[in-house]
Amino acid sequence: MKRLFSILVIFYCVGIILVNLVWVNFWTISGCAVIVLGMARVILRKNYIFFVLTCILAFLLGALNMKNSYILPKCHISHLVYYKNDAICSLTGFIDSDPEIKGEQTSFVFSAKKIQIDNLKWACCGKVLVKMDFSQDLNYADSLILRGVLRRSSGFSSRSCSYQDYLSRQGIFSIMHIKNSLQIIPQINKDGSKIVIFSLWLRIKMEQVINRYLMDLPAGILSAMVLGQRKAIPWLVNNSMIKSGTVHILVVSGFNVGIVAFIINLLLKIIRIRRKGRIILVAISLLIYCFVTGATNPVVRATVMGLVFLLAHLLKRDPDIYNSLASAALFILVINPRQLFDVGFQLSFSSVFAIIYLYPKLKQLLHIDNYKIIILRFVFEGFLVSFCAWIGTICIISYNFRIISPVTVLANIFIVPLATLITLCGFTLVLCGLLCPFLAGLVSTTTAMLITLLLNINAAVIKIPGAYFYF
Amino acid sequence: MVNLTPEEKRVVLFLLIVAFCGVVLNNLAKLNCHIKKLLCAETCLIRLNLNRISLEELLKTKSLPIKISQRIIDYRLEHGGFSSLDDLKEVKGIGNKRYDKLKEIFYIE
Repeated sequence: MKRLFSILVIFYCVGIILVNLVWVNFWTISGCAVIVLGMARVILRKNYIFFVLTCILAFLLGALNMKNSYILPKCHISHLVYYKNDAICSLTGFIDSDPEIKGEQTSFVFSAKKIQIDNLKWACCGKVLVKMDFSQDLNYADSLILRGVLRRSSGFSSRSCSYQDYLSRQGIFSIMHIKNSLQIIPQINKDGSKIVIFSLWLRIKMEQVINRYLMDLPAGILSAMVLGQRKAIPWLVNNSMIKSGTVHILVVSGFNVGIVAFIINLLLKIIRIRRKGRIILVAISLLIYCFVTGATNPVVRATVMGLVFLLAHLLKRDPDIYNSLASAALFILVINPRQLFDVGFQLSFSSVFAIIYLYPKLKQLLHIDNYKIIILRFVFEGFLVSFCAWIGTICIISYNFRIISPVTVLANIFIVPLATLITLCGFTLVLCGLLCPFLAGLVSTTTAMLITLLLNINAAVIKIPGAYFYF
Repeated sequence: MVNLTPEEKRVVLFLLIVAFCGVVLNNLAKLNCHIKKLLCAETCLIRLNLNRISLEELLKTKSLPIKISQRIIDYRLEHGGFSSLDDLKEVKGIGNKRYDKLKEIFYIE
């Protein structure tokens, strides 16, 4: 069976979902797994039964991993925090995310190593969300001692997905508010991963190039499309793109990963590096790009799929797109099974699955390859891809955002090709800015024009009667 | 000579087209001020006009509670409109934090 791996991943996901709905003891599931494993060992020669047992094992593995994700280590910081506790504590650790600055406020994820409450010290682990009411020059990997009140995160949403759930999916169960700079004591040493430090340095360089050659708005949009940094996108632009169903262009996705792989491969080819060396260097570049963009679910999915394709290329074997998609899902869900309930994860995988499953079938049904006019074929292909992605995500979007945008398919016909051009121009601009700045000025003018055109088209599309409706 | 595939040749062509468009647009923008509008989006596409927004639209932004939204509309009616975004601070319930958030959403015309 060619897609056995994909089937096993589906069973793994079902295991995660069921354990989330029904309470079952960890050891009960483990016992079942041991029995099924024993049976599989005995019936090794009977193919059909062995396949069924393997699926059950994948299911139990998903359930066990999900159960295990609920259990935190004994030294986890959340065990030391209570809902009503105003004791001031000292936390020693390092900044585990790129600090986010919004106006006067700064927030970051802090990896705790030691905690001191009332002269009692404990070694601890776990992440804390730190919110500061002022801005201070802080960077990823900076070691700090923080003094303040630790509180548990609380949910304040009427919907099923609360802020508390969102934080817990990222392994954050407590929050610390810092009101003045005296509560922060910087340390000399640096912690954190070297590859992340390098990726963040690279991202800052790339952002500087974009900000140097473009004005605020186009720079903000390009930073989102190329680097996944959405902080500079105005509220109205984001909102109008949600209404037209084109907000996905502001997220780094598989297309960007493909461009990075293509550009790096081209550059390596020009300097005459051999095939094997090129594949390895492209794989490393994809990993760095994944960290540069913040390693969000869509990027991790695209990176893993890209790496599977590269590995297949290296081994001279044909990659299967369903298996590579399944391996990306498995990679994310093994690390954190709770990501299955993240909207970003669901949207990313459902849209890709809908495109790879429906697109070839619809293309064949409508005989698009027989169209002799290339532009007409191109428009129809674009329409079909958008339509498939829309079909794949409509349920998730309407359930989570309470919006249905029938205009999405029409909007995507115009906006997706434009966004493709902007992304290509964006990467060209960044490369030119870093390697040959005299060309960057020319590229930036074209990019700014394309971004303005995109915003105008988007504004025009949502003015169509019945373009979108909330319910 | 470097042996490029057809796709790679297309990349080279793309780069040349982008650079060519850049030169032409730069030149046109210098000669004609209307062309400049093609290069920077109008403010109404990025922010909402505080002097024209209705209470319903204001609530849709989900940036303010109903009471404060109503106070903004009342202030506008009383004073004949906002002369600058700083006037927002005079509305009861809008402090520095809320003002920082609002100035990213609205503009005055």
